[in-house]
Parts: sequence; structure tokens; C-alpha cells
Amino acid sequence: MAPHRAQVVAPLLRRESMGNAYQVLTFDVGRDLGALPGQFLMVRGAEWGDAPLLPRPMSYLSGGATPTILVKVVGEGTTRMARAEPGEPFSLIGPLGVPWRAPTPGRRAVLVAGGVGVAPLLFLARTLSATGQRPIALYGGRTKKDLPLDDDLALITDLHLTTEDGSRGQKGRVTDALGALLAEDVEVFTCGPDRMMAAVAEMCARRDVPCEVSVETPMACGYGVCLGCPLPAAGGGYIYACTEGPCIDARRIDWSRAERAPSAGGAAS
Amino acid sequence: MNRLAVQIGSLELENPVLTASGTFGYGLEYDDFFDVATLGGICTKGLSREPRAGNPPERICETPASMLNAIGLANVGVEAFCRDKLPILRERGVTVIANIFASSTDDFVAIAERLGGEPGVHALELNVSCPNVSHGGIEFGKDPTLAAQVTGAVRRAVKLPLWVKMSPEAGDIVAVAKACEDAGADALTAINTIRGMTIDVDAERQRLANRTGGFSGPALRPIALRIVWDLVGAVKIPVIGIGGISTWRDALEFLLAGARAIQVGTASFADPCAAQKVLAGIAAHCERHGTTVTELIGRARR
Ligand SMILES: Cc1cc2nc3c(=O)[nH]c(=O)nc-3n(C[C@H](O)[C@H](O)[C@H](O)COP(=O)(O)O)c2cc1C
Ligand code: FES
Repeated sequence: MAPHRAQVVAPLLRRESMGNAYQVLTFDVGRDLGALPGQFLMVRGAEWGDAPLLPRPMSYLSGGATPTILVKVVGEGTTRMARAEPGEPFSLIGPLGVPWRAPTPGRRAVLVAGGVGVAPLLFLARTLSATGQRPIALYGGRTKKDLPLDDDLALITDLHLTTEDGSRGQKGRVTDALGALLAEDVEVFTCGPDRMMAAVAEMCARRDVPCEVSVETPMACGYGVCLGCPLPAAGGGYIYACTEGPCIDARRIDWSRAERAPSAGGAAS
Repeated sequence: MNRLAVQIGSLELENPVLTASGTFGYGLEYDDFFDVATLGGICTKGLSREPRAGNPPERICETPASMLNAIGLANVGVEAFCRDKLPILRERGVTVIANIFASSTDDFVAIAERLGGEPGVHALELNVSCPNVSHGGIEFGKDPTLAAQVTGAVRRAVKLPLWVKMSPEAGDIVAVAKACEDAGADALTAINTIRGMTIDVDAERQRLANRTGGFSGPALRPIALRIVWDLVGAVKIPVIGIGGISTWRDALEFLLAGARAIQVGTASFADPCAAQKVLAGIAAHCERHGTTVTELIGRARR
């Protein structure tokens, strides 16, 4: 892929709260760097000093000259982002990584999102919608508070919501609802917790349905330098999430070795 | 006159700002951000005789004003480096310091000989100080006799300027430094990372799969500076300072302590243009004070 990535320092234009732990941040970059759905950027407050030290990888929620990201507060870096005021300068490095594969003509897209993983899928849904396609979307969270941007998704997809506690939509997990949708003429795009993506990938593999995942790992650089973002590759060795992903054919990952600590946090927090 | 030029043994660098091994890839990854050829040089990711896959995840973790890494020296191997990376670096006019790593003296010599035959390699940096692999690496760097043996063997095998990277985990780092000097090293680079650990209290286990990882970043700086100070006082060959350098003022601390050049490491992750900014800051400082980098070196030792 032709790298058009750049580092820009851009002010925060807007911050919108999406319930308790989620925020949408809009940056005023001033020019379109050409981000595609599924790509990500490395975000760091230009005035953070020595800590938090590393930039945080964030999927584009939208591109253009005023790109947006969806932030879930999980650690120090995201806490700082969630408190940033308009005008605060941020260092943005992007667009980075491999975008979602182009949808296959003749197959209906099924988007499977878990929590904050909705961001790259909503971006994808918007581009599909712009070409007159209406994908199916499954969107799950622990409670009704973990479904940010569900209204936006509802406008342009046939949306099924699930919550583990039953406070919204169907009680259960997205995978409970997925089985019935895995027909011959669909393909799946998924982003969410590792365990959810592993389950989705396995269901798709069993039914021979193409499945594209957007992976999340801790990252220090975001462009292939630190080698801190490996995923176990099917057949041995590693795939680097920042350069070979984040969007990748689920079959290329060895999900049995992909279990990571539940609060992987670290550089990704 | 170039106010910024520094002499490292027989090698003249345009300026004293280099990038640290493992934090700058093979140099080409930063092309989109700035012209890498403007730096004093780049130290490549540690190269081994054969390609290496590295450690399982998690490999990295942020800690206060610092990070831990246990990459496990994943790299493309010396052959692929010479074939795919070096020709481009050469064409771009980049000053290349090849950082090399092996688990035996024979392998160190083999890699050095391979690189010694390639135009475009300006110096070798022997990594005898990696904390993240089970064989070799740090063992060589902790023991003066072993360090001297590796340094001497590579010295006899190639004509290239030879730098040896010091481990802060050596019991007596000055003894290791002197042993390397006596064995023919042209310069010492200091320091590599120190092993650290962090535990995820929810999962009740270490965050890194390797359990420990090399500690780097701004929090390392005072320790690195103290070690560089000690080494400058103990050896006659140039010492190159590494450890937590993010800004030109940080770099100046090392130069004033007597370092002949510096390397920017982890800071490049926080800001891909960090090394370029350090260089610009040093240049502006020299301009303002009507001085040269060479005049600044060791000024705090008076
Ligand atoms: C992700 C990472 C990978 C590294 N890989 C190497 C390596 O391959 N060889 C080596 O000699 N040093 C390696 N180092 C050590 C750095 O070159 C440097 O000595 C150390 O990080 C201290 O400098 P800093 O605080 O500026 O990062 C690595 C450091 C980091 C953070
Ligand atoms: S994040 Fe640094 S190599 Fe992928």
C-alpha cells in the first residue's frame, strides 16, 4: 500500500460524551489524509510531556479533514483524551495499517461489533451506505451503556443489539445471534474483544464464510518499527498488527495462541 | 565550518545525533516523516546470522515515563538486511551503524564479516547487552573476559569501526568497558536497557510473556547519564550516550558529561521526528552560543 502517512499536530475541535466511558473526539487536521475504513492513527497529546509516554492506537471512526475517533476510557492515556478540551493540540500519526478488504460483489456484509470495536465498522457501514448497500450489523456489549453510537449504526444497517445482562436488545452475546445469519452469500467483518473475534472467526470458518477481523494489540510505534504488536500466525511465527493488520483475514491468525491477558492495557490503554 | 561534526575514532559524523537500535527499524520506516540522511547516523535493529521471529506477545508495556520491551531480537537476518535494506540506505546517503547480535563468538564474527564486505556500512555496534534472549546477548556484556573475547575476535576479522554497547547490568561496567577498549573497540555506546517487570493485578500475572523486559525511556535518563559519566572518566575511546533522550536539552546533558555523540531511542515512538528535533535544538544552541559540539563535549567535567 502506498504510504501517505504523516505526522500532524492538530487541535481538538470537539469532544462529545457518549454515556459514561465513551467519548468521540474530532480533530481539525485541515486537510484530508485519505484514511480508509479500518485504518488507524496513533494519538498523543502534544503537551503530555514524559507521561503518558506512548501514543495510543485508535481506529478512525471517520476520515476527511476533520477525522474522528471513539475513545473508551481504560487507562491513563484514554483518561487524558476523555478530558481534553477543544483547542488542545494532539500529535496524530496516520493513516496507518491495512484497511478493510473491499466487500465482495454479490455478498451481503455482516458487521459484528463488540463495544468500542464499533468504530471501524461504523466507518465501513457509512462507505457501504454511500454506495447504496445496507449491511446487517450485530452489536453487543455487557450492558446498554456499552453500545455507543448504536443510533448511528441503526440508520444505515439492519441492526441487532445484544447485551449480556439483557438491558438492551436480545440477552446474550453477538455470537448467539450470528449463527442464523451465516448464509452462503454473506461475508463477515468483525471488531471487538479478542475472545469475541476468536468465536466469530471459528463460526465463520466452520461455515466457510469469509471473515475479516480488525485486531487490537498494544503498540509503541504503529508503523513496523518496535515489533511490539505481534499476533500468532496460523502456521507459526507472527503477524504484525500495525503493518499486516489491523484488518486481516481471520484465517491468517492462530486463535488458539492468541489469548492475551484480559486487561492487556499497557501501550493500548 | 560544520559546528556539529564529531569524530568517533576514524569515523567522522556530520552531527552527534544518532538513533538507537530497535527503535528506528532499518531506517527506511521513518522516510515519510523526515529525511533520515540528515542525522549523524542510524543504528539498525539488532541483526543476527539467521532471521528471528522473536518472543510471544505481550512484548511491550508502558510504565511511568518509560516502557518495558521483550521483543526477543526479532529481525530479518543479516542476509535480508544486506539484500533489501542496505542498498536503499546507501543510495539515500544514510550513515549506517549495523547493530549485531549473536549467541557465540563465531556467529558474531560471521555476521561482522558479512557486513564488512558491504559498502554502505559505516560501523558495527556489538550488542553484548540484550536482556531479552536466553542465550548469549547479555552474558557477553556482563563479563570482562567474555566481552573482550568477542570484541577482539570481531576486531581481528573486520576493519570497520567497532562500537561495543554496554550493559548496565554488568557488575563492574567500568571493568567491561576497559576490557573492550583493550581488545580494540573504537567506541563504547551506553546504555542498553535494564531489566524491569510489571504485574497485571487483575490477571495476577506478569504483563509481559517473557516476564521481564528492558526498561527504557525518560525515566532511565539519570541512570544512563551517571554511567556515561563514569565511562568517560575511565576510558580513552569515545563514549556515545543513550538512555531516555527526548529533547535537545537531554542530549546536551550527555554531551556535557563527555559523550561524543548520542542516540535517541524510545522518544522516536512518542514523536517520530524526535531525533530531527534534537538535532535542530543542538544546532540552534551552538549557533546562539557561537560554539561547536566538540567544544561542548565534557564541559561539565571541568
Ligand atoms: C522496542 C525496543 C527494541 C530495542 N531493540 C534493541 C536491539 O535490537 N539492539 C540493541 O542493541 N538495543 C535495543 N534496544 C535498546 C535501545 O537501543 C536503547 O539502548 C535503550 O532503549 C535506551 O535508550 P532510550 O531510553 O532512549 O530508549 C531496544 C529498545 C527498545 C525500546
Ligand atoms: S506497533 Fe510498532 S511494530 Fe507494530
